[in-house]
Amino acid sequence: MKTAEELIITYLADLKAALRGADKATVQDALADAEEHLRTALESEGAEAEAESEALQAVIREYGEPAEIAQAYLDWEAALPPALAATPAARRAQTASANGSSPAARSYPGFFGVYADPRTWGGLVYMLISIITGTLYFSWAVTGLSTSLGVMVLIIGIPITILFLLSFRGIAFLEGRLVEALLGERMPRRASFTDSSLPWRERLKILLTGKATWLSWLYMILMLPIGVVYFSLMVTLLALALGLIASPAGVAFMIVQGIPVSIIRTAEFSWFMTPSQAILLSLVIAALGVIIATGTMHLARWVGRIHGKFAKALLVSD
Amino acid sequence: MVDLQETHKKFQKELSAGTVSLALLSILAQSSEPLYGYQIGKLVGAGNDESPGVMVKQGAIYPVLRSLEGQGLLSSQRELSDSGPPRRYYQATDAGRQALETWTGIWSQTKDFVDNVLGGDYQ
Repeated sequence: MKTAEELIITYLADLKAALRGADKATVQDALADAEEHLRTALESEGAEAEAESEALQAVIREYGEPAEIAQAYLDWEAALPPALAATPAARRAQTASANGSSPAARSYPGFFGVYADPRTWGGLVYMLISIITGTLYFSWAVTGLSTSLGVMVLIIGIPITILFLLSFRGIAFLEGRLVEALLGERMPRRASFTDSSLPWRERLKILLTGKATWLSWLYMILMLPIGVVYFSLMVTLLALALGLIASPAGVAFMIVQGIPVSIIRTAEFSWFMTPSQAILLSLVIAALGVIIATGTMHLARWVGRIHGKFAKALLVSD
Repeated sequence: MVDLQETHKKFQKELSAGTVSLALLSILAQSSEPLYGYQIGKLVGAGNDESPGVMVKQGAIYPVLRSLEGQGLLSSQRELSDSGPPRRYYQATDAGRQALETWTGIWSQTKDFVDNVLGGDYQ
């Protein structure tokens, strides 16, 4: 006869197995819900220690078979796509991809369709703010680890270490919400479940040696260089594009003021353009600016998609 | 031979998809205080042996709660309990209460229609 604890662990393992292949975030949510329910039920039934596993078996019967519950999550998940996927264009894209054609091409056709895609703007905003979030994450991760290591020899070091490690997980969860909101990658909607009935030593061990804690920490560290690159890339490209786009205005100003527009000017030689030549050239330069700006938008959307996958790999544990 | 058991199951699943949402939203809108999943399961009597097939299993109400929350009809908060694990408490939002009024209207129309058809009064 299994103990109640073993039954819960077996149930969760079965549920996880039944959800194999499903979105990692869905699996985490489903396991958190199930574990909360089973433990709460066990607590509320108030059975004697020896009758606990029998009481729990009844609770599990009422909760439903793992296969059945897994199916319920998959059904509802299909009906509730992530934040950005709810836009009409994204729904069209989903239909299009179901038909076997490239989703992005269908829903936002052409080179300039990228401006209408909310993921583009989400990606752009994410890349611009990542220099701030990245700096904060990095500072906190480094401060946390070094402070914890420094005071570990003292009694007071233990609670400080626990607080920092817990904060890493909390920040990872919040970053997940940010990633889902801006980049449209489905991330957990529930913080991962920590079993409070385990003795604190066990919980500390899970916290200290758990993959989730250290992958979150690694993510926080990596976000500084990544954030710097994202921010610099976006600011440089956008500034360049805007500068080029503004060139006709500059030329017009020079012509109005009577300033000659030179194209080559050295000590011995200079070649001036006529006003019409200058305007034509500046229009060509502006067109180049528009192409660079649009290319930057494509880059933002692409980076957003890749970053979503990266965040999921590090922040959502199996 | 037709597998009637499977057909019954399929019919029940399709029927319950909307009604469970309505029932859960209604329970949470009527409740004066936020409720957690286990309490809600007890209230709807989900999965008990006396009324098999009326409602879904208790475990299946959680994805529905999550879906309703995703649509902004419910809000939830995770709170520590004195004994046992932390629990997620759900309550209806203002949008949820508004939706409930409309849904209740849809439900009674549907019910009348189906009752009429089943009773043979539709002609």
